[in-house]
Amino acid sequence: MLLPGLILVLLFCYGPMAGILIAFQNYIPVKGITGSEWVGLEHFRYVYSLPETMTVFRNTVVIASMKIVGGLFAPLITALLLNEIGKRLFKRSVQTIIYMPHFLSWVIMAGILLDVLSPTTGIVNAFLDWLGITKVFFLGNADWFPYVLVGTDILKEFGFGTIVYLAAITGINPALYEAAVLDGANRWKQTLHITIPGIVPIIVLLLTLGLGNVLNAGFDQVFNLYSPSVYSTGDILDTYVYRIGLGNGQYGVATAVGLFKSVISLVLISVSYLLAYRLANYRIF
Amino acid sequence: MAAKKVKVWALVTLMLILVTVTACSNNKGNEGSKASDSPSPSKSASASPAESETKETVPDGPTGKYDPPIEVSTVRSINAGVKFQEGDSLDSNIWTKDFESTLGIKVINKWKVSDQQYQNKMAVTMASGDLPDFMLVDAQQFQILVQADTIADLTDTYAKYASDLTKKSIEEGGGLRLKASTVNGKIMGIPADGGGRDDAHSLYIRTDWLKNVGLEPPKTMDDVINIALAFTKNDPDKNGKNDTYGLSLDMNLFNGWSGLEGFFNGYHAYPFNPTKGTATNLNFVKGSDGKAAWADVQPEVKTALGKLQELFKAGAIYPEFSVIDGVKSGELVTSNKVGMAYGAFWVPTWPINNMKKDVPGSDWGVYPIVSADDKPAMAQSTGGLPSKYYVVSKKAKNPEAAFILLNRVMDKLYGNFDINYHTVTAGDVSYGLHMYPPIGGVFAEKNQEAAYAVQEAVKNNDASKLNEEQKQYYDQVVKYKEGDLSMWASDKLWSTGGVFEVLGQYKKNNRIFQSVYTGNPTPTMVAKGPSLRDEQVRTFTSIIMGGQSIDYFDEWVTKWMDSGGKDILEEVNASGQIQ
Repeated sequence: MLLPGLILVLLFCYGPMAGILIAFQNYIPVKGITGSEWVGLEHFRYVYSLPETMTVFRNTVVIASMKIVGGLFAPLITALLLNEIGKRLFKRSVQTIIYMPHFLSWVIMAGILLDVLSPTTGIVNAFLDWLGITKVFFLGNADWFPYVLVGTDILKEFGFGTIVYLAAITGINPALYEAAVLDGANRWKQTLHITIPGIVPIIVLLLTLGLGNVLNAGFDQVFNLYSPSVYSTGDILDTYVYRIGLGNGQYGVATAVGLFKSVISLVLISVSYLLAYRLANYRIF
Repeated sequence: MAAKKVKVWALVTLMLILVTVTACSNNKGNEGSKASDSPSPSKSASASPAESETKETVPDGPTGKYDPPIEVSTVRSINAGVKFQEGDSLDSNIWTKDFESTLGIKVINKWKVSDQQYQNKMAVTMASGDLPDFMLVDAQQFQILVQADTIADLTDTYAKYASDLTKKSIEEGGGLRLKASTVNGKIMGIPADGGGRDDAHSLYIRTDWLKNVGLEPPKTMDDVINIALAFTKNDPDKNGKNDTYGLSLDMNLFNGWSGLEGFFNGYHAYPFNPTKGTATNLNFVKGSDGKAAWADVQPEVKTALGKLQELFKAGAIYPEFSVIDGVKSGELVTSNKVGMAYGAFWVPTWPINNMKKDVPGSDWGVYPIVSADDKPAMAQSTGGLPSKYYVVSKKAKNPEAAFILLNRVMDKLYGNFDINYHTVTAGDVSYGLHMYPPIGGVFAEKNQEAAYAVQEAVKNNDASKLNEEQKQYYDQVVKYKEGDLSMWASDKLWSTGGVFEVLGQYKKNNRIFQSVYTGNPTPTMVAKGPSLRDEQVRTFTSIIMGGQSIDYFDEWVTKWMDSGGKDILEEVNASGQIQ
């Protein structure tokens, strides 16, 4: 039964890969790949020569790493806490409410966040002010912007992750808990020695997948939240490519960065897979 | 065993289906493109034997009818504001019917998208190589298509098929638009816009606030700054709270709404590099050595930035301007938070159009931009060069059809003006039928002339000399004067003391600044423009917000020169297209 899937993958994932040739061309859309002039590694040299490239690359890695760590712990902790709650109704309600933002698009989220985080009228800053802390211009301050990205991303997605972990927890054999109770283990010990080891494979799986995505720091989110004043810390590879490449019709340059990104991602995912195999004996295949 | 066999067969069938389905869809795609590239080969094949009997007629000049009718393909974008009456669509409306009956041309829209997506969709279409017979492209796509040699040379077609009216519109105002459409002596496109100078900024001020703080309309830039400060500190809305700002600004810095062009112009500085732009329409000034220099790095820009920094420090600019866009800055203004903005002629129609009606006692005045010294201020305009072109595919069977269509549209909209093709009002809704045709042109001074005509008619109380379009504006102005506040925007556009009065003064007194470079974007502008633009906007924003001292400007200028600016200047100066 693998065949139809395989065919689709070949058709839609491997077929378009021929497009990476554009990275080595002075690509003119109407002339196509066969008609455009070959320029070798010129685009890579050009991108490397741009002063922002290294900053953007660093931003991407920093933001994505923070997101992976935050996106790992926030749902895990929430899931463990929710698991301890006996009241079904309460548990389900919390689960649903924190899951909701996942369905909002970043366009809408950005609109809400702009109001919520505003230093003059926003509720967050009003609270900070009440605590006696200086107000922060979250979306316009380059120092704060990456943390805002990470925070809001976690806020939007941790409900989704929680459900995955809760599902994994449900899959743990109840007999283990019963045995532990007989041995005198309290709730904390049960969590530590049964629940967490029980869901380690899922944690490792999500982490592995996350590492492969390390260079996708979230185009939608950044694109909707950033402004010129925070380019220095908020610009990621995707938004950068969009502005310098697609916004100006430089397809060759855009593809070159995309290809570069893919190569790095391949290395990262290979390394993380290897680590997962060594450390947790986890294998996908 | 049997069950397993069935499964295998099912799998094989499924695969076969998949393969054939994908193959089919591929074929279909090819067929579709072929059919539209050269209008239905089967049809022309069947038409050729008939040719000997009934003679095929094709127009041999600006007017005439194709018989048998031909099909011409194009692609369209739709603005969300365009409304259709029941039964009408972009594919079928009064225009398409007219084209078919009087010209024998059936226009096929190969695809339609919202105008927001048009540019991207066009890029995809260009990449696929499946071009329609004629299409609208932006300046950069125009360049690409010319380089790729896939669009038709229209020089002879233009001479033979463009009507006098069409030629007049394209060559209006010294022929700058035609020049921009000409590459290496060949006319490669039909300019779709440009020629206009109506994007020059005026100054919009809340007149009721002026009264409340006891100030007069500004005569110098110092007055502007004083008003901005008074609007911030002297509680112009009399609500007892310190919650107002003097000058509207948003993250785009340069824009038709709450942009800074007018402010800079007051200090004889002419920078232009909008955040959302393509970073290729830069302004150049002529230096003392006769060479072109970049307007944005001149010392006057620094002076103006310094003033903006002071204004920001004094709280006269919304502290979060760097993260809000034009829509948000518009909301601030309409919610009574800001009392002054620089902007283009359309500002009365958005965002301040409903304020007079919705906010009792409020009113806005339109004023010409003022100068910081005794030299009069020049208002910059970047509308002179076209930003969009209609181009004809090399494969088009009837390249002249684009002109035949254009002639008809121009005739209906400007020659023998026909209101039925322009705006139709049914009930409370008016339908802008002039937005429907697939091709069109502009007379850049049309609005200006309409404004003068309306003012004249209002003065003499005689609307008999107005054409139907102008008569509409006249009626709206009269309605406003009779107390209909929803017609406020029309009054601000067409009446005495309105925007076009201000723009007319600029034009008459030669107070419009236009870039001295009239050529298309140079290679370095295309390559490094976006990166340079980002840095510029970031620098300007940071200076205004006080994050960097004003002297950082000089540092940025050096940086600009080193990271591509010098090359751009060299290319511009070598182009021979300096006025």
